[in-house]
Amino acid sequence: MENFTALFGAQADPPPPPTALSFGPGKPPPPPPPPPGGGPGTAPPPTAATNPPGGDKSAAGCGPFYLMRELPGSTELTGSTNLITHYNLEQAYNKFCGKKVKEKLSNFLPDLPGMIDLPGSHDNSSLRSLIEKPPILGGSFNPITGTMLAGFRLHTGPLPEQCRLMHIQPPKKKNKQKYKQSRTQDPVPPETPSDSDHKKKKKKKEEDPERKRKKKEKKKKKNRHSPDHPGMGSSQASSSSSLR
Amino acid sequence: MAEKFDHLEEHLEKFVENIRQLGIIVSDFQPSSQAGLNQKLNFIVSGLQDIDKCRQQLHDITVPLEVFEYIDQGRNPQLYTKECLERALAKNEQVKGKIDTMKKFKSLLIQELSKVFPEDMAKYRSIRGEDHPPA
Repeated sequence: MENFTALFGAQADPPPPPTALSFGPGKPPPPPPPPPGGGPGTAPPPTAATNPPGGDKSAAGCGPFYLMRELPGSTELTGSTNLITHYNLEQAYNKFCGKKVKEKLSNFLPDLPGMIDLPGSHDNSSLRSLIEKPPILGGSFNPITGTMLAGFRLHTGPLPEQCRLMHIQPPKKKNKQKYKQSRTQDPVPPETPSDSDHKKKKKKKEEDPERKRKKKEKKKKKNRHSPDHPGMGSSQASSSSSLR
Repeated sequence: MAEKFDHLEEHLEKFVENIRQLGIIVSDFQPSSQAGLNQKLNFIVSGLQDIDKCRQQLHDITVPLEVFEYIDQGRNPQLYTKECLERALAKNEQVKGKIDTMKKFKSLLIQELSKVFPEDMAKYRSIRGEDHPPA
């Protein structure tokens, strides 16, 4: 027992018992042994020796916080700031996200001739194919000389209909058609609904004066049967005759 | 910067217009229109030369490949910009949420640790330069 005290007598105070969550001043645990081969994702733990310059003071001054690292600078750009406003993209955001952007390519390039809304794979005109199989670019573009121009003598007369791709334009929708389409969802051929709608409107227009007349007649009849009514006046007679 | 694009746009528009006119000449060809056809062909060659010259000014411009996909599908490329901005904003909000949650967690953790280990936490705060526990 004496030997025991002699051995540990140099220590002033016994170290406090370790607690589960304490930052006890005990010496830091030894770093885990490096894995064989040392992969790229196995960085050594930040000990006092490997601490960043800012962490040195914490590690040297305060032993218990040997795992402490320097906090990231507050000036660093992170997701906590609105990056749209940071990069002055509010205008672009309002432009593209504020209102509805039209879906078709022809809305973006309205002056481009041809059916540009069709997928490029249809007529092998896709930009992707241009990247995947770039054209052979030998040299510069030279003007076509007289003898070469002789190769561009064409037959007279119009082209067959199927070859006139330049004249085909994407159909431009009118507001009326859009309204009708949204109202009637049945896949009816485009000509029939417009015709029928037109007729219905006409009918309505034709029916309206008739309805008015009927209403007037009803009113008159009511007035005749009502006790307050003095009798058939000249004015009414004229109006009834006018109806006939 | 914008001038480069304006030049290219101008040349492309001119080129497209020449192609359109060439198409009209060809669609109903008459012997008398041979001279016009020859002229148009040479206009096209010069137009290609002009566009090729613009290439030197635009070598530092990068275009995302997804834009080409939109165009190939006959869709408005502005939709790509729109979707990019929307995605960026959504991700920005998501990250901000994460950062805010972590900040709250940190303050709560420090608060609770200060109750259990007041001395150690005081030391910790002095190292961090925080005199008072964050609210």
